[in-house]
Amino acid sequence: MKLQGALAIWRRDMLVLRRSVLSEMVAVVAYPLTIYLAFGIGMKSYIGLVEGVPYSLFIAPGLITMTAVNAAYSESVWSLWFHRRVQFTIESYRVTPVSVSEIVVAKIFSGFTHGLVKALTVALVIFAITPFRFAPEHLLGYLAFLIPGSAFFSCAGVICGTIMDKPETIGKVEAVFIMPLIFMSGLFFPLSSYPEKVIPWIRALPTTALFEGARQALVKGSFSAMFVLQIAGMALITFVAAVWIFRLKMSD
Amino acid sequence: MTAAILTNNLTKQYGTLTALGNLDLQVRQGSIFGLLGPNGAGKTTLIRILTTLMRQSSGEAFIEGNDTRSRGRDIRCLIGVVPQENSLDRYLTARENLELHARLHKMDAARYRQRIDELMELMGLAGRQHDFPDTFSGGMQRRLVVARALVHQPRVLFLDEPTTGLDPQSRRSVWEYIRSIAGSMTIFLTTHYLEEAELLCDRIAIMDHGRLIAQGTTQELKARLSGDTLYEIEFDGETERYAALLKNMACIRSITVKGAVVNVGLEHWECLSEVVSALNGAPVRRISLRERTLEEVFISLTGAGVRQ
Repeated sequence: MKLQGALAIWRRDMLVLRRSVLSEMVAVVAYPLTIYLAFGIGMKSYIGLVEGVPYSLFIAPGLITMTAVNAAYSESVWSLWFHRRVQFTIESYRVTPVSVSEIVVAKIFSGFTHGLVKALTVALVIFAITPFRFAPEHLLGYLAFLIPGSAFFSCAGVICGTIMDKPETIGKVEAVFIMPLIFMSGLFFPLSSYPEKVIPWIRALPTTALFEGARQALVKGSFSAMFVLQIAGMALITFVAAVWIFRLKMSD
Repeated sequence: MTAAILTNNLTKQYGTLTALGNLDLQVRQGSIFGLLGPNGAGKTTLIRILTTLMRQSSGEAFIEGNDTRSRGRDIRCLIGVVPQENSLDRYLTARENLELHARLHKMDAARYRQRIDELMELMGLAGRQHDFPDTFSGGMQRRLVVARALVHQPRVLFLDEPTTGLDPQSRRSVWEYIRSIAGSMTIFLTTHYLEEAELLCDRIAIMDHGRLIAQGTTQELKARLSGDTLYEIEFDGETERYAALLKNMACIRSITVKGAVVNVGLEHWECLSEVVSALNGAPVRRISLRERTLEEVFISLTGAGVRQ
């Protein structure tokens, strides 16, 4: 597959992001920062240490990861829906020599890039205004989770943006699937809080592999190859599914 | 010479609904071909198949000799498409819209910059090229969509109802642009405006309910309407008496009376001398040839007026 067309569409998305970067970043930073201030600082004195680290440090990696995957999902789902149903730009791409696969790859990469850029912004703000710090050598391990995690959510967004024709359905899916998947995966509490019988099920969630693995990598410097493989495998499966579903939808 | 567009038994079915039925069409290279029909006639379905956006259920379609089923990418290099919806990217400026399209066609920056400059001038948008399409009038947006379709210098240009929703002035300006580019490429235009088809097209096909009813030049379509020639005869009195006289003539196929004017349809134009002889001494004020309109052709072929 040639990627020249995909690159052109990705460049378009980045140009639009660059234009609105300030307003985007304010909105992106506001949500995780509010959560950090409310839970990390507000609850700190009540909760104390979680898994040997202060609560504010426990939730910080999760908030950065959450920003990345939320942004990746939102950008993909809304961008695809908007370009397909409102602006009809997908159709204008499809009458050029660009293939359907190139279009979907471009949208996945755009979502992925949005996720990484926004996560970086949130991370910088958290570093600037909170005592959260980590050893620089831990970053590589963290990125090993963040990159496939963002890719997974971006692909999931492309799938939803492809199959959903009504905007309200997109909102419902976000409320019923995406947010619970994120919040249930131990973003705000350790997995050991779950009843014994439930833990295997929770550990099987791709978001648990992502959030738990990313936190351990960033805070403790430990690296779970199993979790990385799990999230990378999910990213690969959803990528194949996203391309296939988009192609199927376009051939309707 | 290869036909620019060729279809053989082209059929598209949605379940039990036949959107296109065994359509045979041939469009000469360099011509402006108009596809006329009411909403739901199958025009857009046909354009979507020809532009490779949709697959036919059966039959064949070729663009410049390329099969739509197997040479989609090659076809998309050759065509420009102006869809019914503007489909402009409102987050890009007018120029950026064209640049993106050029990149999707894998054009070199040096080549597309010059081409975009030319098109912006041609379409009268040079002064607004750094503005966003949302700030444009409907006519300007339409011109920008046409410019976008022309960036890569297509050999076949598809215009799907290019003036729908435009005010008369904007419509005329789009027509002028279409005429200005005619000859340099094949233009395939769908419309439900009869005037538009008559004004722009070398050949016209009329379709309804997914089937091609007739095709030819405007004059051929009018001529084949019923094979007759219409004349208006205005009398200065005794209109009924002379109408009755004409009604009995063998070469008159139809006759209607409206006040002092009698409309007669002749078998062929040679009958006119018989009519003139029959009316010798009658108080005739005027005899004039009445042109058939495309709408009359449409009504006679479909049995209904043009559904907007």
